[in-house]
Amino acid sequence: MTTQTLTQTGTRANEGFVAIAVAAMLGLGLVFLAGFSPASALHNAAHDFRHTQNFPCH
Amino acid sequence: MLIRLLSAALAAGFLAAVLVTGLELALTSPLIIAAERYETQATPGSAAAVAPMPDRLPIVLAHAGHDHDSKAAPEWQPGAGLPRMLFTGLATLVGGIGYALLLGAVMLATGREPSPERGLAFAVAGFLAVALAPALGLPPELPGSEAAPLVARQVWWLMTAAATAMGIYLIAIRRVPITILGGLVLIVAPHLAGAPEVAATPSELPAGLAAQFAARSLAIAFVFWAVIGLAFGRAWQTFGPKTAAGARG
Repeated sequence: MTTQTLTQTGTRANEGFVAIAVAAMLGLGLVFLAGFSPASALHNAAHDFRHTQNFPCH
Repeated sequence: MLIRLLSAALAAGFLAAVLVTGLELALTSPLIIAAERYETQATPGSAAAVAPMPDRLPIVLAHAGHDHDSKAAPEWQPGAGLPRMLFTGLATLVGGIGYALLLGAVMLATGREPSPERGLAFAVAGFLAVALAPALGLPPELPGSEAAPLVARQVWWLMTAAATAMGIYLIAIRRVPITILGGLVLIVAPHLAGAPEVAATPSELPAGLAAQFAARSLAIAFVFWAVIGLAFGRAWQTFGPKTAAGARG
């Protein structure tokens, strides 16, 4: 019982680290895509969103 | 845990995007479109003024003065009306899910079990870091009033957002005198260093329009964050294992 609990806790901590890292990277990527990507088509598509959310634009 | 985090972020980002896209279309998009009209009228002799007013809105044309080479190949832009609204909604969705993922990652990394209340608290911090603090130096701008080079503004924006976020972490979560002092220094430093120059050139754009836009922009940013925080906390609880809901909450 004790061993099982410890193993589970260890796995959970490790899994938690991976989940946080993946979520953070994915989040940064999406925010970059919507707010900062210099590609002209992406800029034009997100133009009004960028202005409203105060991302530096143009 | 990854699935739970991604699911909660997707749900929160989607809900916030639906609400905030409505606010954007009702409150800020009309001001942006109005500003683009002033901008194209205000530059006689430029390519934008010579070209007949197209049925699509001059997102790029309005800025044609900066890059004369782009005349040959017109860059893609969404058509006026519905397509432009849809792409604004899509960008809001992408941004909202991105912010929700970051919010969730920060909450879990700092060991806070997400709930609607805690989510809201972190969301307020997120609003302060990425909306309010950068807006002190670079106020939300309508098209046509930008002064400093884009890269300088983006770098200052990112530095300010990162420093403010770290400052809030040191003050609110670490919470001992030395980190509170360090946090205050981090929050103030970007503003002492100074933001890139704000446009001081005369513009045809009425000042009232610009002021209205800045206020509405910050209000919308606050709603965006608040909904993301509340919804992420709620969704995290909903997607959690039923048996552990009481024990871990």
